[in-house]
Amino acid sequence: MTADARGAVTFRFGGREVRGREGDTIAMALWAAGEPVLRRSSSLGAPRGLFCNMGVCYECLVAVDGRTVRACTTVVREGMQVEPGGRP
Amino acid sequence: MTDARVLDADVGVVGAGPAGMVASARLAAAGLSVVVLDEGQRAGGQIFRQLPGGAPHPARGAEPPSHARGDTLLAAFADRDVTLRRGATVWDARPGRLWFEQDGASWLLRCRRIVLAPGAYDRCVPFPGWTLPGVVTAGALQVMVRGFGVVPGQRALVAGSGPLLLPTVTALTGAGVEVVAALEASSRWRALRALGGVLGNGGRRREAAWYARRLLGAGVRLRWGWTVFACEGDGRVQRAVIGKVDRDGRPRRDTARTIEVDVVGAGFGLVPSIELGLRLGCAARFVAARGGHCLVVDGAQRTSVPEVLAAGEICGVGGAEVAMAEGDVVAGTILHELRGIAPPAAAGRRAAAERRAADRLLAAFAPLPGLHELATPATIVCRCEDVTLQQARDAAALHGTSARAIKLGCRAGMGPCQARICGPSLQALAAGRPDQPMDLPVVQLPVRPVTTATILAAPAG
Ligand SMILES: Cc1cc2nc3c(=O)[nH]c(=O)nc-3n(C[C@H](O)[C@H](O)[C@H](O)COP(=O)(O)OP(=O)(O)OC[C@H]3O[C@@H](n4cnc5c(N)ncnc54)[C@H](O)[C@@H]3O)c2cc1C
Ligand code: FES
Repeated sequence: MTADARGAVTFRFGGREVRGREGDTIAMALWAAGEPVLRRSSSLGAPRGLFCNMGVCYECLVAVDGRTVRACTTVVREGMQVEPGGRP
Repeated sequence: MTDARVLDADVGVVGAGPAGMVASARLAAAGLSVVVLDEGQRAGGQIFRQLPGGAPHPARGAEPPSHARGDTLLAAFADRDVTLRRGATVWDARPGRLWFEQDGASWLLRCRRIVLAPGAYDRCVPFPGWTLPGVVTAGALQVMVRGFGVVPGQRALVAGSGPLLLPTVTALTGAGVEVVAALEASSRWRALRALGGVLGNGGRRREAAWYARRLLGAGVRLRWGWTVFACEGDGRVQRAVIGKVDRDGRPRRDTARTIEVDVVGAGFGLVPSIELGLRLGCAARFVAARGGHCLVVDGAQRTSVPEVLAAGEICGVGGAEVAMAEGDVVAGTILHELRGIAPPAAAGRRAAAERRAADRLLAAFAPLPGLHELATPATIVCRCEDVTLQQARDAAALHGTSARAIKLGCRAGMGPCQARICGPSLQALAAGRPDQPMDLPVVQLPVRPVTTATILAAPAG
């Protein structure tokens, strides 16, 4: 697939630097960077990641500036600090 | 920061998919003020996806004929004087009132007519390992490729049921992903019944032929009567166990075999997004082949609640042609009611014909009850609350088999997804009643989660 002409955006996920493209959601930038795990599940602590990619399942919860958001509906911004989400 | 803001319009539309776009473009062309609210960042809905920045996705050349209509529709929509509010999440509604959050601000839209066109989402069937990272819905893979130009992986398994497996496979092959297996749970014989819905409708016939050629070209064979039994891997999916199912969808364990994959898309049809309709008090009914509970509408697309209309998947899953035809009827009805313009009879006839064709096609892919035997007692059924099938069964045995009793007994369905993911199969699984319709879901506020600040700052209606 040909690349589109979007600019790069750099952000941090759990301390690690990740490069995404302008307009990517957090979930898409992380998936493209080879990181499908976004949080641990509520009681078992099992790894969980993107599931529906359209905002309905809440599996992709992460924390941005202390606020819990859906990684699949939140667009990455330059310098954003993203932490793996915990309990929904 | 949350500031209260109020907007006024003749018509408020929820959803900028094909149904919402057709309705609003026509209404705006006739001079009505129209505000369209969509949670997404771009118009187009689920089917006509664009990349960030508005460019059509690079795999557009690898798209079925029906998708080309999206470009025309998107252009017509952009030309009209429609106010599209992107990233606007509607979280509550009353007749004449829609509350939404956009960029952290709390808004109220006051309007004379509400049009509900929020679409549908993937139907999930729990199987061992479906919670592993890398296992996603079939829809998620389409959004990835067609909405963001992201290549999902190298070796993919696509499994589930219904016509949407085909665009999922072609999106993947178009992105250069090897589709190791494409599994349709329905049998070929059951699918033959769907031919009536395809052959009688020119558009659907061309579409089916296009997919057949495309799959052949990519060397992908759709296997009928097969599905995914389990996914395995260390922290993410690495293998999948696949096998044959019987006519009712029951896994035939003796046919199981393991394949290596790094991404799995599973989708067993779609479920209409009816929450806002229920919140408004609109009547709903259960139609298995249309995805479950759907809003009831009359021939003019009016719901049971005055001044609330609905079009597209919310009235029952039927695809883009149905959605566009029904959006057209909605516009005709509103122009009649507010402007006294007689609605064209042809629009109603076309919508009814598209709906009939879709119903015939989808009847062949109505959920198979035996697929509920994929889950083992240890399989998680409610992903939000980590509830296993055994726990849900115990709760049903102790508290009763209504959705409410199961929920109270084990918390399944109490999490943030509001039972959208587990709901369609929870009762069947917990109560062992695979053939009966599930209870009508109970809507919680906010219908879609927004911040507490938004709710507190909501302008009084
Ligand atoms: C991932 C996916 C891929 C699909 N691919 C195809 C395909 O290739 N071919 C095909 O024929 N059909 C496809 N479909 C079926 C699809 O449902 C229909 O084709 C068509 O898009 C339905 O049109 P609609 O207008 O009813 O809803 P949609 O197109 O689903 O549009 C609904 C819109 O409403 C918005 N929305 C929902 N709730 C809210 C809310 N509370 N607040 C704000 N906005 C909201 C959503 O963001 C969405 O943009 C697909 C469906 C899915 C889920
Ligand atoms: S992946 Fe389902 S809400 Fe984000």
